[in-house]
Amino acid sequence: MRFGRTSKAVGAAAIAALALSACASTDGGGEGDGTGGSTQASGGGAVTVAEVNGFSSFNANSATGNVDINGKIWYMTHGSFNYITNDLKVVPREGFGSYEKVSDDPLTVKYTINEGVKWSDGNAIDAGDLMLAWAVQSGHFDDATTDDAGEVTSGNTYFAYAGTTTGLGLTDVPEISDDGRSITMTYSEPYADWEIAYDVGLPAHVVAEGAGLADEQALTDLIMSSPEGDPENPQERPELKKVADYWNTAFDTTSLPSNPGLYLSSGPFVTDSMVADQSMTLVRNEEYNWGPEPKLDEITVRYIPEAPAQVQALQNGEVDIIAPQPAADTLESLEGINGIQLLTGNQLSFDHLDLNYSGVFKDVDVRKAFMNTIPRDAIVNSTVKQINPDAVPRDSHIFDIGTDGYEAAVPVNGSEDWQKVDIEKAKELLDGATPEVRIMYNADNPNRVDAYTLIAESAEQAGFKVVDGGLPNAEWGAALGNGTYDATIFGWISEGVGVSGVPQLYGCDSASNFSGFCNEEAQKAMDELILTLDPQRQQELQIIVDTKLFETGYGLPLFQGPGIQAADERVEGFKYMSNQTGVFWNFWEWSIAE
Amino acid sequence: MVTYIVRRLVTAVLILLAASFIVYLLTAASGDPLAQFRQSNLPNKEQLIQQRIQLLNLNVPAPLRYFEWLGGAAGCLVPFAATCDLGQSVEGIEVTTLLVRAMGQTILLVTAATVLAVLIGIALGIITALRQYSGLDYGVTFMAFLFFSLPIFWVAVLLKEYGAIGFNNFLNEPNITLSSVIIIGLIGAFACYLIANGNVKRKFIGAGIGFVIAAGLIWFLDATGWFLIPGFGAVGIALIGVAIAYGVTMLTSGLRNRKALYAALITVGLGLVAYFAIQPLLDLATPLMIFLLAIAAVLVGAVVGFLMGGYDRRQSMNAAGLTAFLMGFVILLDRFMQAWPEYFNNSRIRGRPIATIGSSTPNLEGNFWISGLDTYTHLLLPTIALMLISLASYSRYSRASMLEIMNQDYIRTARAKGLTERTVVMRHAFRNALIPLATLVAFDIGALIGGAIITEAVFAFSGMGQLFIQALLASDPNPVMGVFLITGILALVFNLVADLVYSVLDPRVRVKA
Repeated sequence: MRFGRTSKAVGAAAIAALALSACASTDGGGEGDGTGGSTQASGGGAVTVAEVNGFSSFNANSATGNVDINGKIWYMTHGSFNYITNDLKVVPREGFGSYEKVSDDPLTVKYTINEGVKWSDGNAIDAGDLMLAWAVQSGHFDDATTDDAGEVTSGNTYFAYAGTTTGLGLTDVPEISDDGRSITMTYSEPYADWEIAYDVGLPAHVVAEGAGLADEQALTDLIMSSPEGDPENPQERPELKKVADYWNTAFDTTSLPSNPGLYLSSGPFVTDSMVADQSMTLVRNEEYNWGPEPKLDEITVRYIPEAPAQVQALQNGEVDIIAPQPAADTLESLEGINGIQLLTGNQLSFDHLDLNYSGVFKDVDVRKAFMNTIPRDAIVNSTVKQINPDAVPRDSHIFDIGTDGYEAAVPVNGSEDWQKVDIEKAKELLDGATPEVRIMYNADNPNRVDAYTLIAESAEQAGFKVVDGGLPNAEWGAALGNGTYDATIFGWISEGVGVSGVPQLYGCDSASNFSGFCNEEAQKAMDELILTLDPQRQQELQIIVDTKLFETGYGLPLFQGPGIQAADERVEGFKYMSNQTGVFWNFWEWSIAE
Repeated sequence: MVTYIVRRLVTAVLILLAASFIVYLLTAASGDPLAQFRQSNLPNKEQLIQQRIQLLNLNVPAPLRYFEWLGGAAGCLVPFAATCDLGQSVEGIEVTTLLVRAMGQTILLVTAATVLAVLIGIALGIITALRQYSGLDYGVTFMAFLFFSLPIFWVAVLLKEYGAIGFNNFLNEPNITLSSVIIIGLIGAFACYLIANGNVKRKFIGAGIGFVIAAGLIWFLDATGWFLIPGFGAVGIALIGVAIAYGVTMLTSGLRNRKALYAALITVGLGLVAYFAIQPLLDLATPLMIFLLAIAAVLVGAVVGFLMGGYDRRQSMNAAGLTAFLMGFVILLDRFMQAWPEYFNNSRIRGRPIATIGSSTPNLEGNFWISGLDTYTHLLLPTIALMLISLASYSRYSRASMLEIMNQDYIRTARAKGLTERTVVMRHAFRNALIPLATLVAFDIGALIGGAIITEAVFAFSGMGQLFIQALLASDPNPVMGVFLITGILALVFNLVADLVYSVLDPRVRVKA
């Protein structure tokens, strides 16, 4: 066949036109559809929050998902029996459910979900979900035996739960109420932190389905019928293993899963969209009906690792709330911006100087002489006061500044003896001796270096010979408690609530007690503490321990870490929070000023 | 040749193995993976440490752990078998997923900057070589080295402060004061003074014209509210088109080739018609459509050139084809500008279009033009920052290479034959001057995927550099090894490609088999 030139050209043009119209977009042109998400129509407004790390898991309680940012998203998308306020008090969420201590002896607690409380897919939150949470948080089925090197020699650890199983490990399989909304668990011995030991976790119907079980009831039956794990006689439990594997790994993702069951919400917000490693957006949960109505329609979280980038993004209006890594120059640049709310305060980490109860510090007088030389005011001035103008030296080993316990402890725990540097007293206690003290600290942390320098300078005036034992970032942690130093400067991060951390740090031979403190009276108080349910008595016992620590020359707490949180002035209801929930703690109170 | 390539590839594999072993050991030794738990007073601290030890297999010494990793990575060599296992990050995300995503971000970030740096750098290098030791030469050299020696984190922060925050503030009240107009005019005058060729008088006349054009343009744009409602309009497009036609013809065939000039001008006319004709089609644009339109434009230009004929059809086709492509680009720009007010007033943008972080505005909904503008506003500053610092190497290399070529005997011969200066420069010198740059560009494309750690951090891009550095800080070996694997392979491959390309381009260089 032969074509003329013209018909060839016409043919080519026709094919081209077809091709072009085939690849045209179908959304009907650009007129007026750029007004943003439809959710904004209801007028509650949207807020963007900058976070340092990227979201990685919808299961914030698993070993891999246990990262601050995951916990924050969890906080906004999950109901809970209680929450923690910014003055570190535990407040029950009565609209969601209730928990009551049915009896003190044996400690029996009944958890009930209110009627009509649902997951965002409409499935009711009920005893099945409570039972799954219990199975995870109690470690009831674990029967693994590990050798000295930490290798599992037999059995299985089922759920890789990142929280502590100490509390619920004391309970036996709970009883389910007839209406299917409550479970009652009985502790074999009293447990002081029972109030924060348990909360609802992931949706049981999703986990059941994902693990190949028939339905939620099948999962509940499996949990009820499986015998307790016994490391002596480990047995293979393939069904439970499947459930646990699904729970451990299925919820880890950085992009929005195709299965909406993986991001169900039981809280005020539900995940709407995610851009991996950049941002995620939460919108109102339509099924949410049990608590304070959030004022906003939408919360977007953007991941910005660098503090200066966060500050400039706030200044440019790309984000509304930031909580950058605290640093003096970050604060300075924030102070230079108009139209923002700038809040500083303490964080729940505190630096402290610990003295070994052995070696050169075996003698209590030497320890106390050293403590007399520690210039705490100077240390605070040269480090945290640069950021938090209200920073003061911390006067308790146990209580966080601003809590009731702190107020009660400080006047009586003996800390007033250590307010000022007293070189004369130190010399007197040393009585002419010139002990050599090796101080270990993280030499890559400027605050610790400052603290060391000031302490060394002051201690040398009293006759101590101070040896610089600073180690690089990668090494100092492993050196803790290995006996190569006499004193160490480092930090603890505390939870803000609960008492089970106390024996962890100060119990004889316990895992985090690096300095060898062991005091009979304190140990007795701590033994009683973890069994004490009365908060008042808990406080008294903790004060006893705190007092003993000062009395026996444990060392001195130095300061609490500072925090910076800032927001655009159009965000209302923005309040400082010191724990790891950070700025999000009262997200339902946030609103946008017109 | 084949033996040579095989030998190079075998060496490359050995180098990669040795290097990955060393990097693995260094990563393992670089930090304490348990550091975050050591400061914890959680009651279940031991359990958390135990979980992490099992997750990272820390009980196995690092050299042995390397071989476990290698075993998984070796699965990637089997094509289509889906056995590729580069491990997981500490947070349980597959490294392959992380890598794909990070590569996408990095390519997005650095591609435009690299292409622009190559184009502008080479152009500057050639021009300064042709006008060696002139004010322009010194000026460009000074600026290139100035930018080269600026630390990028500092440039980036300044760009964000003035280019984003300051410019957005300006856009909210776009009024240019008289003093600003004069300053901009003076800058224009200075630039034209340097560019103008000839004696001092001509230079001053150039400076005067430069002042008038710069100050007048900025005043005109301000007075017409152009910054809020930008666009070229038909008249603007016609003017720009004619300028393009003359410029392209001058470079490709010389203005004396009238047929080529007319072909280019006819293309501009067709472009103007198309400008009106395809507006409705452009409202439904998709990337594929734009691509097809670009091809169509080039074809139309070539056809026009072909039909114009003349003694050298190819020159006309080149001139008209290139003009058509650039004309299409101008129409595209104009369409983007038309979408600007809608983008600017979007409730997600809130009148602050130039962004300081990330690669897109979260939840922005809009068509091709809106999302295109969004990408533009996000990439603008990082692209400028990256481009400024890499201009120096390209312009200096191309300047040196061009100078060398211009002093060669065959150039003198070409001039002696009576060829025009344009033919000598464009056809005899320029092409040969590009040969050494082929090596440089090949290396840079290899390095491109490796990411720009600092730039990514400042602009909050989650590319390869950030993946690498964050994993390293967390003592998380698998992502580090993933990044290393990709960048290592690319470096070796492009090294080889550079050598091969060189021997193809320059017959004097022979590959010894």
